[in-house]
Amino acid sequence: MAASIRLLARRIVRDAFRTINSSVSVRIVSSSCPSNLSACRCFSDGAADKSTHFGFETVSEGEKAERVYKVFESVAQKYDVMNDAMSLGVHRLWKDMLLHVMNPQPGIRLLDVAGGTGDISFRFLNYVRSQQERVARRTARANQTPSWQEISTSYTTPTEGIEMETEARESRAVVCDINKEMLKVGKQKAESMGVSSGLSWVVGDAEELPFDDDQFDVYTIAFGIRNVTHIDLALQEAVRVLKPGGRFMCLEFSKVTNPLLARLYDAYSFQMIPVLGEVIAGDWKSYQYLVESIRKFPDQETFKQMIEDAGLFSVRYHNLTGGVVALHSGFKL
Amino acid sequence: MAALLRGLRVGRALRGFGSVVVPKTSSPQCNGLRRGFHCAALRLQEDKDKSIPVPPSSAASSTTTYHEHYRSHPFKNNTDTYTQEAPAPEADAKEAPQPNTSYADQSGEQGEEYETEEQLQAHILNAALDFVQLHGWTLEAISAGAETLGLSAASSGMFQNGAGDLVLHFIAQCNAQLTEQMAEQHNQVQLGQAEPKKTAEFLRDAVETRLRMLTPYMDNWPQAMSILLLPHNIPDSLKHLSTLVDDIWYYAGDRSTDLNWYTKRAALTGIYNTTELVMIQDSSEDFQDTWNFLENRIQDIVNMAGAAKQAASTGEAVAQGLLGAAVTLKNLTGINQRR
Repeated sequence: MAASIRLLARRIVRDAFRTINSSVSVRIVSSSCPSNLSACRCFSDGAADKSTHFGFETVSEGEKAERVYKVFESVAQKYDVMNDAMSLGVHRLWKDMLLHVMNPQPGIRLLDVAGGTGDISFRFLNYVRSQQERVARRTARANQTPSWQEISTSYTTPTEGIEMETEARESRAVVCDINKEMLKVGKQKAESMGVSSGLSWVVGDAEELPFDDDQFDVYTIAFGIRNVTHIDLALQEAVRVLKPGGRFMCLEFSKVTNPLLARLYDAYSFQMIPVLGEVIAGDWKSYQYLVESIRKFPDQETFKQMIEDAGLFSVRYHNLTGGVVALHSGFKL
Repeated sequence: MAALLRGLRVGRALRGFGSVVVPKTSSPQCNGLRRGFHCAALRLQEDKDKSIPVPPSSAASSTTTYHEHYRSHPFKNNTDTYTQEAPAPEADAKEAPQPNTSYADQSGEQGEEYETEEQLQAHILNAALDFVQLHGWTLEAISAGAETLGLSAASSGMFQNGAGDLVLHFIAQCNAQLTEQMAEQHNQVQLGQAEPKKTAEFLRDAVETRLRMLTPYMDNWPQAMSILLLPHNIPDSLKHLSTLVDDIWYYAGDRSTDLNWYTKRAALTGIYNTTELVMIQDSSEDFQDTWNFLENRIQDIVNMAGAAKQAASTGEAVAQGLLGAAVTLKNLTGINQRR
């Protein structure tokens, strides 16, 4: 009986670790769980045997998550600066394009996975606010020259309930990232920008999101999905947390179509970027991992197929900057 | 005690299992992610059966269904019925593909899903028509329409052409409705149950019916017309206009195969467009000025056709007369005589 209570205690501990959502913890607990117990569900035993790519290296799946975590932990402070330096500021245009294609209506809930420093969420909140302001300005201007009809109806009816309704629907953005350091940097940015309402910061693993089903209108993952160990699990989680009719949007580096541009791009990636990483952030290896992981990511059509396999419909992609970045979008119907 | 602990352990194992496998808490017919689309479809059905919002254009007796319309007296009172009853035939078609649980027939299933995706878009656009009075012909109307169907507002992103999709869908729907009514009328004439109309009268009734379908949206129709004139929409809007005019002439009985085919259609296109423009700024009771204008324009065409015929026959008569005069002159001068 004492033995079974000890088992129960171990199980409780393992469940607690699972809610923290780090695959590293699962590995630690599994080593303490004796293998001859049939009730012990040690998923990571299988993971330790399977291998995956970490840049151009081959590592075990459990190890990949840990190493990715370390990469982003070390680059977190200089992340935004490095983005600007490496892409010569073009990443801002890519993210603006993502928002432009998303065209969010006021009142929408956004989940920004691997959102890290919160670039997408800040843009989202700005976009929605400016749209609301534009609508408010338009109605104000329309009200300035009302027709006789409108004046007479406004005397009889009470104040317009419709406008009140749209104002009450505030849009909210949730930034979710597996890495606490990146979220910390994001929170600091939010404070310095004075953005506080409508934004929340959650630690979570893209393969196992800490949210209920059917919660969000839009799910975005910008330059994060190539770091996920099991991309199909992340896509399945996206389908789970999206509302029916919700939109999945993914911004990611992809295959360049033009061969000349491809050569230039390769040369720039492998020669310049790790050097910039060393000079600006003092971290050659993280940026070496970054450019290698871009090469390992599937191309536009393959990724589109993966998205369709996960159960999303009306999947399309746009190539930005000649295929350097691809914006994939699908709907949960 | 051991049994109790074993039970708890099993319970925890199942829950742990459940947190990894994607949970599906909705209707029991849905298994697997691929069925998710059918889940949404079924949910749409349930939602539609439960609550259908009353359209803001509250004309009298606005809840006649699509089928009732179909049976009603043709070319009369075809206003204000783009409620969600309109896609009733589409809904019947969608109930047919029940969610099948077999993974075997992948290719057939893919075809089914593609069809229902377009049907879903049509559903959303139909629902969006109710919000046109409020938001105009914009993406906001489409988002509001999607929300009434239980979908997220983000699904309006499916329509890459935005408001253009909504307007084109609407005019396609109107044209289809008109064609059905004309076909019905044609059948009745074939069966001998109704008298065939004269061409001018038929044209007038057809154009009037078609334009009356616009009356619920008359406040925002100028915006819709401007959307149709955007460069990327022009090919589609011209296509719809040309098929409309062609259908009207076909049911009016035109089977010409010469230059008349073009002149007739050009004339009717002109009439239709100008009448539409008059209708936009018409403030008379029940658009009576517009119908008078239409009547006059059709009379003009009829007169012109008559005048053209008369001119042709006059020309012929004149030519014959001249020929006769020439022969007489030749006779008088004696040229014609054989020597």
